[in-house]
Amino acid sequence: SKPLDPFLGIAPQDVKYFKTHDVIRCRDGSANFIKDQLNDDFCDCPDGTDEPGTSACPRGKFYCQNAGHAPVYLFSSRVNDGICDCCDGSDEYDGQEKCLNTCWEAGKVARDKLRKKIATYQEGVKLRKQEIEQAKLSMEKDGAELSKLKNEESILKGVVKQLKDHKEQIEKIEEKERLQKEKEEKEKKEAEEKASEKTIKVDEEDTKHEDEAETDSHSEDNTVASNHDKIEVQEDSLVQEDEAGEKLADTLDNSVEVTDAPGSEGSLLNQVEENAKEAEREPAVESEIDLTTGKTESSSEVINTGRDVSENTDGLSKEELGRLIASRWVKEDVVKEDVGARSAEADTALDNEYQEDIAHGTTNGESEGYASETDDENNKYDEDVNDDEFHDDENDDLSSSYKSDIETEPDLSDFSTTEDPSWLEKIQKSVWNIFQSVNIFQTPVNQSDAARIHKEYDESSTKLSKIQSRISSLTQKQKLDFGPAKEFYSFYGRCFESKQNKYTYKVCPYKQATQEEGHSTTRLGGWDKFEDSHKVMVFSSGDKCWNGPDRSLKVKLKCGLSNEITDVDEPSRCEYVALLATPALCQEEKLKELQQKLDLLNSEQPGSHDEL
Amino acid sequence: WKKEEFRNCNQTPFCKRARSRTPGSSDLIATHVAITDGDLTANLIPKSQSESNPKPLILTLSVFQDGILRLKIDEDPSLNPPKKRFQVPDVVVSQFSDTKLWLQRLTSEDDGLSYAVYLSDGYSAVLRHDPFELFIRDDNSGDRVISFNSHGLFDFEHLREKNEDENWEETFRSHTDKRPYGPQSISFDVSFYDADFVYGIPERATSLALKPTRGPNVEESEPYRLFNLDVFEYIHESPFGLYGSIPFMLSHGKARGTSGFFWLNAAEMQIDVLAPGWDAESGISLPSSQNRIDTMWMSEAGVVDAFFFVGPRPKDVLRQYAAVTGPSALPQMFAVAYHQCRWNYRDEEDVENVDAKFDEYDIPYDILWLDIEHTNGKRYFTWDRVLFPNPEEMQRKLAAKGRHMVTIVDPHIKRDDNFHLHKEASEKGYYVKDSSGNDFDGWCWPGSSSYADTLSPEIRSWWADKFSYQSYVGSTPSLYIWNDMNEPSVFNGPEVTMPRDALHYGGVEHRELHNAYGYYFHMATAEGLVRRGEGKDRPFVLSRALFAGSQRYGAVWTGDNTADWDQLRVSVPMVLTLGLTGMSFAGADVGGFFGNPETELLVRWYQLGAFYPFFRAHAHHDTKRREPWLFGERNTGLIRDAIHVRYALLPYFYTLFREANTTGVPVARPIWMEFPSDEATFSNDEAFMVGNSILVQGIYTERAKHASVYLPGKQSWYDLRTGTVYKGGVTHKLEVTEESIPAFQRGGTILPRKDRFRRSSTQMTNDPFTLVIALNSSQAAEGELYIDDGSSFGFLEGAFIHRRFIFANGKLTSVDLAPTSGGNVSHRSDVVIERIILLGHTPGSKNALIEPSNQKVDIELGPLWVQRERSPVFMTIRKPNVRVAEDWTIKIL
Repeated sequence: SKPLDPFLGIAPQDVKYFKTHDVIRCRDGSANFIKDQLNDDFCDCPDGTDEPGTSACPRGKFYCQNAGHAPVYLFSSRVNDGICDCCDGSDEYDGQEKCLNTCWEAGKVARDKLRKKIATYQEGVKLRKQEIEQAKLSMEKDGAELSKLKNEESILKGVVKQLKDHKEQIEKIEEKERLQKEKEEKEKKEAEEKASEKTIKVDEEDTKHEDEAETDSHSEDNTVASNHDKIEVQEDSLVQEDEAGEKLADTLDNSVEVTDAPGSEGSLLNQVEENAKEAEREPAVESEIDLTTGKTESSSEVINTGRDVSENTDGLSKEELGRLIASRWVKEDVVKEDVGARSAEADTALDNEYQEDIAHGTTNGESEGYASETDDENNKYDEDVNDDEFHDDENDDLSSSYKSDIETEPDLSDFSTTEDPSWLEKIQKSVWNIFQSVNIFQTPVNQSDAARIHKEYDESSTKLSKIQSRISSLTQKQKLDFGPAKEFYSFYGRCFESKQNKYTYKVCPYKQATQEEGHSTTRLGGWDKFEDSHKVMVFSSGDKCWNGPDRSLKVKLKCGLSNEITDVDEPSRCEYVALLATPALCQEEKLKELQQKLDLLNSEQPGSHDEL
Repeated sequence: WKKEEFRNCNQTPFCKRARSRTPGSSDLIATHVAITDGDLTANLIPKSQSESNPKPLILTLSVFQDGILRLKIDEDPSLNPPKKRFQVPDVVVSQFSDTKLWLQRLTSEDDGLSYAVYLSDGYSAVLRHDPFELFIRDDNSGDRVISFNSHGLFDFEHLREKNEDENWEETFRSHTDKRPYGPQSISFDVSFYDADFVYGIPERATSLALKPTRGPNVEESEPYRLFNLDVFEYIHESPFGLYGSIPFMLSHGKARGTSGFFWLNAAEMQIDVLAPGWDAESGISLPSSQNRIDTMWMSEAGVVDAFFFVGPRPKDVLRQYAAVTGPSALPQMFAVAYHQCRWNYRDEEDVENVDAKFDEYDIPYDILWLDIEHTNGKRYFTWDRVLFPNPEEMQRKLAAKGRHMVTIVDPHIKRDDNFHLHKEASEKGYYVKDSSGNDFDGWCWPGSSSYADTLSPEIRSWWADKFSYQSYVGSTPSLYIWNDMNEPSVFNGPEVTMPRDALHYGGVEHRELHNAYGYYFHMATAEGLVRRGEGKDRPFVLSRALFAGSQRYGAVWTGDNTADWDQLRVSVPMVLTLGLTGMSFAGADVGGFFGNPETELLVRWYQLGAFYPFFRAHAHHDTKRREPWLFGERNTGLIRDAIHVRYALLPYFYTLFREANTTGVPVARPIWMEFPSDEATFSNDEAFMVGNSILVQGIYTERAKHASVYLPGKQSWYDLRTGTVYKGGVTHKLEVTEESIPAFQRGGTILPRKDRFRRSSTQMTNDPFTLVIALNSSQAAEGELYIDDGSSFGFLEGAFIHRRFIFANGKLTSVDLAPTSGGNVSHRSDVVIERIILLGHTPGSKNALIEPSNQKVDIELGPLWVQRERSPVFMTIRKPNVRVAEDWTIKIL
């Protein structure tokens, strides 16, 4: 039906368009219509120009004034449909439905809400500024540290090189001495040889031993030597490393003089094993999960393949069979029940994997890609010092090491920023002293001198590798996207938690997001990127879902006064969405927008309602 | 699809035995042929009197109006067989018996071997007594129409006492069927004459025209199986039976037309379609002048209660079948609109969001569905109160926008002593029993479950009362019901269903009624909604299992399909076959239940699904969300447009549902139903007719650029979207765009539309109509429009408007089709026609004159679809504003 007001549904600023001429053009230019055809409840313009106030044009828009509240454009299909859409009721005029004017009440609620939002923004904008300031300082600090470390690295490299040369020199002499000694003994034995035939045999065996020893010690040299360069060396195959490790262990077994030989041997082997394990860990855990949670799948697949296994199903109790069939439709849930204890195992396995990750992360620092290789080398070869540290880390309280993520970076406190800055000079000095006091060409080698050089060498190279690890971690960090104003800098190394029913969600920006239930942890995703102009954080490639995609999480950001996760949801299976309130999103431009909006609302109020 | 979990014919003793029989192995003869109480009766006994005291079978032949012949063969109850064989109750409608023709006389045929009785004008039923055979004859030509036991394959295993050395048990996988009554199967051959193809016997995923399963030059396959099963991830091409069974087959041929055969039997059935020449060595000769398709029917139990339909036109057979099993119920208007479903909309917030998004994107929908997760631990009639704390409020919010909700109610009842339904059912003894007489305990969604025995009228009545607002707490008048898992699905049962030796009301074994279990459950649920609405509100119940007669109780869908192109393709023959066998209100899950459809597939599925009689999108809960707005603006627009087409055509669809309700003719039809003598259409199942006016062809491949569409008949066809004219009787190679699938309006038809798109169909009630007149070569066209209140049973008393629009000689006339006498109620409506579009009219006219108001209106060029940009324009009568309820004419000047 036609409206009484011929200009119904037209915004005030547009009325002119319709009043000026007797023949009006459709806005899309497709046709013309005469004044009588305006709002005559028949669609003449495909774009709806001629029917702003009726439902005749499917693509039309109806404007409600909504005095006292915000004006709104409706789809024209809402006109006279029996539902009050405009708070002023102007969309229902055919007499089928009586609509009350609720704009004043609705407007007040909306304005109050807007005011609250503005207040939040006002406070939030300040916090955001502080964050940005802080970030600027911290980044400068990082930069300064980095350049300092780089400087130290180059000096230390020189020192280590010198020490290495000395060490090798001493070792050469030692070797010479040993050979000399052996030769002498041999001659001595030869003199005694004639005594009996038995002795000959023994001697032959001895010789054999010696040959072996020679090769071994030689190989040790190689290993150690290559170790020095390891940091630059990109990839050695695991097998090679293993071989090297074993050889070294053998050498140590033959009790060549190396300090703390027994200890390092043990740890070395452990290390090698550990590394090997770690390499295998991921696939191993995966297959374990397959076995446990995948019980149903495997058995049902088996049914598929033939009689043998259909006997398996036949062996099932009625209840098991019921669960099995049900599980095809609802894989995960039923499987969990189904396997019971076994799934707990899987959980533990997952936990282990996760702990492993943490331990790994602890030694390796933040970024996996780069640090793992170099640091692995360090773990393997810098036996004494590093080894201790490694164990320490393992013994660390996992949860705390997880939460205070930032502290799990390589600990350089003993020789970097906090301590006496002259540590490097000290090293240089003591090394100088050694060089001064030790005559490396002296024969026989002074045992205590040799030990000093070994010790100095080990310590220095350990420190060097630590510095290098820290450098790489800082470099990685600098590459991260902290937002256009670095407003997300403080998210680095932090985690935000939220408990929703039985689950605890942990969102660690730049790292990962998890869902924890009791002791079981599910990875919702690793850090991926920001999206939607830094309004969304994306975590992707999380744990695989049964019959579904890999888990993923999108964290939508909104302005709030503290960093707080306010909601976690799974709108689509295994695709999670969380809401994070943070000052980082309290942008000044947005505040201005909101204020303008409020001003507009206030200005449009009928009468003079003084609300402020 | 786990093939090994299901029995094949070889693992099914009755099927294996029947399939190995050779033609002529039946040696029964008919004796004591007589007319008794208006029926032809006879005894069937073996000719070779090897047994000293042969037990005869009792044959009864009855004739009904409109060319329907009913054949019953059962054991002689006076001889005290060990058990009364099961005859499926409550499927044949009660009015049917009123149409019986009392036979007066038996005519002996010239050959001296046969008797004939009158069937209908021009047809006789002929019984040959030695050897026993029954056929229908066209008296004018002398040709046969359809025959029974012409190949002598009839076999009827009498119930008997067990011999001591016999073991009747059957084992399949870990399940043992005790079979206390032993072998009791029935098999026979049925031949269809002058037939080019046979169709029907759903439900399965296969072609519309049934391929032969045995015989020379065909790939030997399993017989077509009719056994209701919950099949996980069914494949798109298999003779294997799915969730429902309708043992009704139609034949169609160019030479004669259509005939039908329906065996009312609810036990497992297997049917072979035999390729010509399969009987080459049998020595039995049948008239060779007629094309013939032979079929072999085998069932595990029951009796012979068979119906023969003479046709001869396709719609005649549908009407004849509907006379026996009832026409399909008229759904409420909202149920014909678009349904939005997912396993599962998780909570009230989710429901609210999805609902709001439809409005935000201006996409209409009418019904939001809740799957099993809405309940408290899969106890139906309850709510998970954490997720759904205020179900009434939630439904009221939807209802305020004219929308409805559907919740799921399955037949398995959780065995939990604290669950009132279980407590009551077990106390009253309302559960199906196992073979030892205890409540059957099977595994389904809730875990250990029992199943209401809805075979019993008393238990159905009890069940129906559970839908009262008092009993179903949290339900409101806008809530309707979905019955799933009613095959029944039993996760730990043989073939994922109930053991055949489970016991029902009256000592009926599950094997005897298996295929009808879901039917009775559906019936009881629909009855519940009728009672809830005090007989004023038409029920809506969607069922997965189905049987002959299910059309009287609601809609069905093709179950758990998969999101791939092949399954999109097979959905068409599946829905058409259901329609051919009476189940008009059918559809497939749009998008595919399992898996994630690519966006293009989803869009194509919406474009096709908009023409399914039942139009619902659904998805498995492991799939990604796929509501229409999740695939970018372009695709949202395409899906919106597909849904808009459905809403625009709602008046047409609703008129077709009324036609199905009165005539049994389905909404979606194979093309040959409209063009019965056009052979090129007989096996076409890529395209179909919606009513008599629209032809639709799906697009079943990715990135299709072209489609070959055969447009039958002599008249032109008009592209539904563009109005472009195409010649009939030609295969057109058409360009395909992503905007739509090929769809055409047939020249000579008039489509009623509503072109204003509201939130739901509810708000469209008072919106004006558009008529699209597609003229034929004589510049004429006809169409119908049926209107009622869209929800009540008032139409049964005459509260409806039914018009026929006739365009001829430049004049459009609206004629009343409603019976003038009869009902004292009427349906009032002020709704007008706002636009009349003429396709194929010679241009030039500027005005039209409306009579009797004697008013002139403008004719101008207007768009075919107002909502589309750059829609082609056609001659349009602007604002005639005539009321649909009145008689009028509009003359083009």
